[in-house]
Amino acid sequence: MSHRSLLEHGYRLGMLIYPPSFRARFGAEMTAFARERLAAARRRSRAAVAREFFALAADIVRSAPEQWIAAVQAEPDVDYPDFSSENHPRDNMDILLQDLRFAIRGLFRRPAFTLVAALTLALGIGANTAIFSVVNALLIRPLPYPNPERMVVIYGVQGTQGQQGVVYQDYVDWRAQNRTFDDMGVFRGQSVNLTGRDTPDRLYGMFVSASFIRLIGATVEQGRMFTDVETEVATKAPVAILSHEAWETRFGSDPAILGKTIILNGQPNTVVGVSRPRIQTPFGTPDAYIPIGYYPNAAGLQRGNRGVGALGTIKSGVTFANALADLRTLAAQQEAAYPTTNKGFGVELTPLKDQIVGSTRTPIFIVFAAVGLVLLIACANVANLQLARGAARHRELSVRAALGAGRGRIAQQLLTESVILSMMGGIAGLLLAVVGTKWLGTVLVANLPIDPGIRVDGLALAFAFVVSVFSGILFGMVPAWKASRTDVQGMLRSRTGAGEHGHARTRNTLVVVQLALSLALLSCAGLLTRSLIELQRVKTGFDTSNLMTMQFRLPAVKYDTPDKIWAMFERTVAEIRAVPGVKSAALVRAFPFTGNGEVQPFAIEGQPPVKPADAPQVQINIITPQYFTTMGIAQLLGRDVAPSDTKDSPPVAVVNNAFATKMWPNESAIGKRIQMIGDPRWWTIVGVVHDTKHFALNEKQLLQAYVPHSQRPLIFTTVALRASSDPLLLSRSIREAIWRVDRDQPVWGVRSMESLLDGAVGSPKLIVRLTVGFAIVALLLGAIGIYGMLSYTMSQRSHEVGIRIALGAESRQVVRMVVGEGMRIVAIGVVFGLLGSFATTRLLRSQLFGVGPTDALTFSIVTAILAGVAMLACFLPARRASRVDPMVALRSD
Amino acid sequence: MSLAEPKDLHPLTPVVLHILLTLADGERHGYAIAQEIEETTDGQIRMGPGTLYGSIQRMLTSTLIEETAQRRHPADDDERRRYYRITPLGKRALESELQRLSRVVRLARTKHLLRDPGVA
Repeated sequence: MSHRSLLEHGYRLGMLIYPPSFRARFGAEMTAFARERLAAARRRSRAAVAREFFALAADIVRSAPEQWIAAVQAEPDVDYPDFSSENHPRDNMDILLQDLRFAIRGLFRRPAFTLVAALTLALGIGANTAIFSVVNALLIRPLPYPNPERMVVIYGVQGTQGQQGVVYQDYVDWRAQNRTFDDMGVFRGQSVNLTGRDTPDRLYGMFVSASFIRLIGATVEQGRMFTDVETEVATKAPVAILSHEAWETRFGSDPAILGKTIILNGQPNTVVGVSRPRIQTPFGTPDAYIPIGYYPNAAGLQRGNRGVGALGTIKSGVTFANALADLRTLAAQQEAAYPTTNKGFGVELTPLKDQIVGSTRTPIFIVFAAVGLVLLIACANVANLQLARGAARHRELSVRAALGAGRGRIAQQLLTESVILSMMGGIAGLLLAVVGTKWLGTVLVANLPIDPGIRVDGLALAFAFVVSVFSGILFGMVPAWKASRTDVQGMLRSRTGAGEHGHARTRNTLVVVQLALSLALLSCAGLLTRSLIELQRVKTGFDTSNLMTMQFRLPAVKYDTPDKIWAMFERTVAEIRAVPGVKSAALVRAFPFTGNGEVQPFAIEGQPPVKPADAPQVQINIITPQYFTTMGIAQLLGRDVAPSDTKDSPPVAVVNNAFATKMWPNESAIGKRIQMIGDPRWWTIVGVVHDTKHFALNEKQLLQAYVPHSQRPLIFTTVALRASSDPLLLSRSIREAIWRVDRDQPVWGVRSMESLLDGAVGSPKLIVRLTVGFAIVALLLGAIGIYGMLSYTMSQRSHEVGIRIALGAESRQVVRMVVGEGMRIVAIGVVFGLLGSFATTRLLRSQLFGVGPTDALTFSIVTAILAGVAMLACFLPARRASRVDPMVALRSD
Repeated sequence: MSLAEPKDLHPLTPVVLHILLTLADGERHGYAIAQEIEETTDGQIRMGPGTLYGSIQRMLTSTLIEETAQRRHPADDDERRRYYRITPLGKRALESELQRLSRVVRLARTKHLLRDPGVA
């Protein structure tokens, strides 16, 4: 079914909640209307289609009640079958009220049934509404910026290196010369040291151009914004804007903050503004905005260095492709003008929405599909319960039919009952949804750059309502249709089970559908679980226990020479090692799994030079001696970096095993020399260590090199520390150790390796937990389905079982017979379920790690689980049947 | 239900008023009515099919509008497209509603609550 017809079918299905007379008169016109609206939206964007579809659904929900009132007020018309029972309702309003009365009375007469059915539905509707709220916040609702649909992130690219930042000077030219953008802005987020107060503090700073703040629509509540001149590199002014939150928490809501000077990275800046509350940039929520010209790594703003992030808003009416072509033309001109620095530099654009929610899209759809399946299974369950009830009620219905109730009337009444039931489920489900959404919101937001405001809003309420009505119609349809086809004569003639055979077949089909859907869901959950296990079994290459890190950055103004930096680091390490409880400690530029780290092209001595774009890449890290011992990374060959490696001795490097074996498969790497692009020195390899994972558990093994801090000093570093017990208990004393060296030095990012690893599998873990949770619910519902079906069948057949027992059948044989019958249906369900699994699990491929989408082991395990649970569900009614007292059973008819 | 006196219908809801205004220019099918209203009100009134046909249903019942027998163009003969036009009663209801509204506007002007559109 195509995308187009799917939405259109959805719309038609939605129209079912209008009165039939209205539908008959306007249905075709309304469908044509909806089609044109959707077609118009499709010409704009996919998000527009989604918005339009929900607008159409909301329109139905809004306008339906009025039509119902009009319909029941109007003269009775041919769409309503004449009902001429003893009650003689006068008009449609009476009929509706009568149906409602019957339905509610009927539901309360069987509280157990009503409770089970409503709770089942509440689970399904609640889960769907909660997940829909996430879908709504992330994929449907526009981002909280002006013109979000025209905002793009601008990336620099080179060769096969993927998306990187842009060159500041290039951006200046692009901004002046382009013809397709309203405006562009640049930013660079980095922590800054706030000093000159009682204790040093760390702020999350964002170095920006004035245009960047305008693009994201941030405004000030006090003072003013930056001017363009203030933020440019050549004309920068020492100013800063504080976020409302930072002003409140860090500056005690100082009413006279404007015009005050604060020391950021050792540089006095005048506060000119305070932003409005809750401003989020797409790249974090900064405490302070600082002109980009003050970006501490001045080289990052020079030609040839792709050091800044860039954002732009495409002009209204200009296509994405035209904007990209425009920038590419400018990039090509720059390449010609600056051949030394811009060789091979290209440009790429990513819509901001993709940038922010792109990676969460697939997992969310997987979970949405899973809850959709749970709801279908729940509907099948309730339909089955109702069929069983319908059979028990057939005497009541046949009497009403004999008294003149038309078939349509009876069907209508049963449908009313179903919709009321599902509305009850829907209301309970909403409570569940509110709680679930709140939880999902807090968990998901941790993995997103902005807080999209995940909550149950009006659209989600409309969704819950529509889903409730649809579910009511869905599970009510089969019993209503069955009831409307009941043969009145037959029903009255026989006291038990006329048309029972047909009922049984429908119920068996429903159970097969349930089991098949449960199995498909279980397979998906099983595969996701296995890939999570695989992910957690990945060897990090180091010992993760009692390991901790914390970060600090030296102010460039104070530590302006390599000697000063190195002296500070040397003393710091010595102080930290002296802290009681510390087993060993070292400094490292980028601690694993913190997201920090740099990857650079490199060259090997004696090998022909290659273009920078094609050069092999190495993840380079800067360490002090004993880093490997602290981390528990095995030394395979040669030696560690040593205190004797100083800035005056020959540069040395330690590489990992992957590096050594890839570059020198047949000889030792020791003594070989490598060169980093942009640094003329040759580094001699003095050691080989074990491979480690650095950015993610599922990354391909990186080539890694470590060089000594003394030979490549940087102002940013982190502490790597192994304690003899829980390392977080030491964090206070470690801070104090650092402050003994420099009392103005802020320290942050104190984290244990365990929490970092949790973060590294964080998002998949949540998806797996949700999918497994929903699969278990589906399994239980499926089990309840087959249990209910068999119990009912056996209660109908107690007569037959009684005869068998009277004729000498042993209870074991009876159990075997009943279980056998149940398991035949289970087997059919398993076959369809496996077929469904093969069809659906390949959609998961992108989310799997270390396991294929048709993994035989997983499929066998989930099939066994399903069969086991189903067998148990069959066994209970079978045992009950085997204990039938033959005399009672025979007398009962 | 049919109403002889247009005044009985006052005040018209904004949607009904705009539908009548649109049909005053000639007959239209449903989607065209909605599009035209969206354009002439600068998107302030954007209705979905349910709202539109709900109003059309009511207006048909009170005979403010009627369905035309003829298709506008033989080439445009999509069977789902039904055209609607304003009835004499609808015209009178529209006229008297507009009269009423212009009296309201005049009153507002004399009280200096509303500035001349040329100035604003």
